[in-house]
Amino acid sequence: MSQVREVRSAKQAEQEDLFFGQTVIVWARWSVIVAGIVLVLWTSTSVSLLTQTMPFFLVLMAVNFFLHGRFVMGSPLNRFVVTVASVVDLILITAIVVLWPGSHGLNNQFFVLYFPVVFAFALVFTRKIEVAYTGLAMLLYAGACILAGTVPFDLGNEDKVLVMRLIVIAAMGFLGNYYFRIQRDRLAQAGKAAAA
Amino acid sequence: MSTIHTPTSSGHHLVSPDGKWYWDGVAQEWKAQPGTTATEKPAPPKSEPARGLTSFTGNVRSADLAEGQAVLVWARWILIGTGLLLSFWSPKDLGTLQVQLAAIIALAFGNFYLHVQLLRGHPALDTVVYAASLADIGVVTALVLVQGGYQSPVFIFYFAAIVGISVAFPTWLTAAYTSLVVGVYGVICLVTAPIADDPAVFTRLLMIAAIAVCGNLFARSEAKRRADAIRVHSELLDEVEQRSSIGGKENVASS
Repeated sequence: MSQVREVRSAKQAEQEDLFFGQTVIVWARWSVIVAGIVLVLWTSTSVSLLTQTMPFFLVLMAVNFFLHGRFVMGSPLNRFVVTVASVVDLILITAIVVLWPGSHGLNNQFFVLYFPVVFAFALVFTRKIEVAYTGLAMLLYAGACILAGTVPFDLGNEDKVLVMRLIVIAAMGFLGNYYFRIQRDRLAQAGKAAAA
Repeated sequence: MSTIHTPTSSGHHLVSPDGKWYWDGVAQEWKAQPGTTATEKPAPPKSEPARGLTSFTGNVRSADLAEGQAVLVWARWILIGTGLLLSFWSPKDLGTLQVQLAAIIALAFGNFYLHVQLLRGHPALDTVVYAASLADIGVVTALVLVQGGYQSPVFIFYFAAIVGISVAFPTWLTAAYTSLVVGVYGVICLVTAPIADDPAVFTRLLMIAAIAVCGNLFARSEAKRRADAIRVHSELLDEVEQRSSIGGKENVASS
């Protein structure tokens, strides 16, 4: 990528990117919420299980309504709140991987919920923050699998599957942020070309 | 559009090389110069002639696709690299390994060509990129089928492929490719997965669609921001030109 001088200051650029990109994070969270609610309704085997698990998603739904509403009204939240909400997403998904009844850790098939969340985050934040977030997601997932005792560390098939999934989580972060940087560069070029 | 930056005769507006049209930045269109008999709007710039390996049929290269191609190429390298690593990690049987390696190496050759084109500054033609993405989906599907359908862990490579597609392709094509993936993989899972795992199948398909929506939403939002930035600059430029003409000042371009 060619180096182009930004018309905006770095801080302005980050604020604008957060403003316009926040919608992607909100939509990614909606997908996780929809998946979670459908799964809870679908797989619950007793009333107590349903009443214990559903409130998590209802709270997340309320939070996302708030975030989405603020965005629609033209006053999206600041970087700190968005980051905290995104970290909460990771914690919730990790809790699903560890605690979901039936299968835990590596055997739990709901690890795919990490993908849109990490990808959306990478489309909005700068590289350092994105790397930290993606690393946290990988760490949480690897920790969840190890905690659940599903990774034997014998370089066998389970280890291989874990490595594969971690690579794809990393790829989501890398590709999303790579595209984000391409777009920022193009925006700078567009401003420069028009001003020339 | 180099023509809009090369005013040739008038000092008040940006003028086309033949002097018959001027650019109205407010209306965002070419207008005929007063007192001229313009019959045709300026022709778009001619595309470069195709050379060597770039000479596939057609010459359509979309700007958005060209930029998104970099993401597609890197997504494919990730698929190839990870695929090779995992193929050699505790292979199960000769037949599966042969299919895996043949597919991955074929993909690597194709991606090498696309990457070289990018590095040379000649992004591949749209049709070639569309075909390459179909090949990605085909290879992942073949690997999934060889490894038993639903049980295969390589379905996660669909996500990497869809990421590239969602940011590079227009919305309708993203929808088409995503529908193809969801449809094909959904059928494979319905045939090969136990009923108890239907929720997991649903989650996989929903997340593939979610990735496509997020990527494409972001790409469209960025395209709009870019268009807005250019429009605002053009309007300001035009306003300045109009003011300078009203005030009787000489335009810089004509001096």
